Amino acid sequence: MRILAALVILVALAAAQSGNKSSESNTAASPSPAQNSAQAADIRVEGEKRFRTNCGRCHMPPHKFPPRMMATMVRHMRVRALITDEDMRYILAYLTQ
Amino acid sequence: MFAQAPDITRTPTVPVVSGGIAFVPVLQGGQTTLVSIISPVVLVPLGDNWLIESRGAFEGDFTRSNGTGPFGGKIHKELEYLQLDYIVNPHLTVTVGRFLTPFGIYNERLYPVWIRDLQADPLILPLEQSSSNGVMLRGGFSAAHNLNLNYAAYFSTLSTNETLASDRQIGGRLGAFLPNQRLEIGFSFQHLLQENHPNRFGAHFEWQPRALSLDIRSEYADTESGRGYWIESALRLNAISHATVFKHTQVVVRLQQFFTKPGAPNGNAPGANTKEPEIGLNYYFFDGLRATGSYGRQLSSAGNANVWTAGMTYRFAFPLGRGGY
Repeated sequence: MRILAALVILVALAAAQSGNKSSESNTAASPSPAQNSAQAADIRVEGEKRFRTNCGRCHMPPHKFPPRMMATMVRHMRVRALITDEDMRYILAYLTQ
Repeated sequence: MFAQAPDITRTPTVPVVSGGIAFVPVLQGGQTTLVSIISPVVLVPLGDNWLIESRGAFEGDFTRSNGTGPFGGKIHKELEYLQLDYIVNPHLTVTVGRFLTPFGIYNERLYPVWIRDLQADPLILPLEQSSSNGVMLRGGFSAAHNLNLNYAAYFSTLSTNETLASDRQIGGRLGAFLPNQRLEIGFSFQHLLQENHPNRFGAHFEWQPRALSLDIRSEYADTESGRGYWIESALRLNAISHATVFKHTQVVVRLQQFFTKPGAPNGNAPGANTKEPEIGLNYYFFDGLRATGSYGRQLSSAGNANVWTAGMTYRFAFPLGRGGY
């Protein structure tokens, strides 16, 4: 019985410790609104740069289309213009922000 | 630089209809041709990795009968591509169906009327087999810091159908792009698996200096029907002034030459050695609507001629469904 009680206490302590870690990691993984805003701004700058480098070779600065349209058109241009996967990600993020 | 590119795997898509409309009268050697083009593009994404894409062209070239009669002519219809793309991984896309032949850059990248800077076709365009029916592997990837490579390799089968014409051939294109310098050079190869089994070679070059709104492009092709090159420079005048009229204006200059090969089949290519300097002006009212005009002087052993073009191009795009998130 004592052994069982000790096991229950150990499991409860482990669960509590794990919960603390999880809550710490959740806190660490959730950036503040200011961090989010800064990251979005960085992505926009990098996306615009990559748009001008890749798409700007044939196209004018983009007319803003709705996001779903942009996603389709960027997939089309990825295949047609052979832009890299990373460039495509930044360009789509820039065009849909 | 960021550790990781944005995650876009769950970005929703919608089928899109896009394309262009152009009305560009051409006056060449005293003969006027009213060129009208409608070129719709249909894009249908399927899941995260599939895409059906298609482009057709309806072109009416109307000329005066007997020199002074009413304008008339046929409307040419062509299915330029109808292909299914499967994005296998970041480095490889597999395409099956009818696709634009990846030989040089003009046919695949610059041909649409709403993209090209000068409306007249380059003299060597007939050397670039416009469309192929078969299978193609293609992709683009970063090979090193400031070096992106792109490639396309394909096999095409013979089709004598007028709308779906293609040759039996294999070929490929390899390009190297330096993003920091915005410079690309590339080479194309094609081997015909019919008739005399000729080889065809091509090379291309593109450069956009960062300091100016300037595009410099060039292409060279050497085939059994002839060889030639064009080099084109297009400058946006916003470097001169920020006045609206300059910001929307582009000046284009192109020089091209074509050399025939004795006894060679020339198809739609010039029948004699030809040289042509051209100058053009484009005015962009907004992103999709443009007024365009150009003058060229064709210098040929078969006779010289002036070539004038003036017209409008318009690019459209709309979703077949809900466009927003």
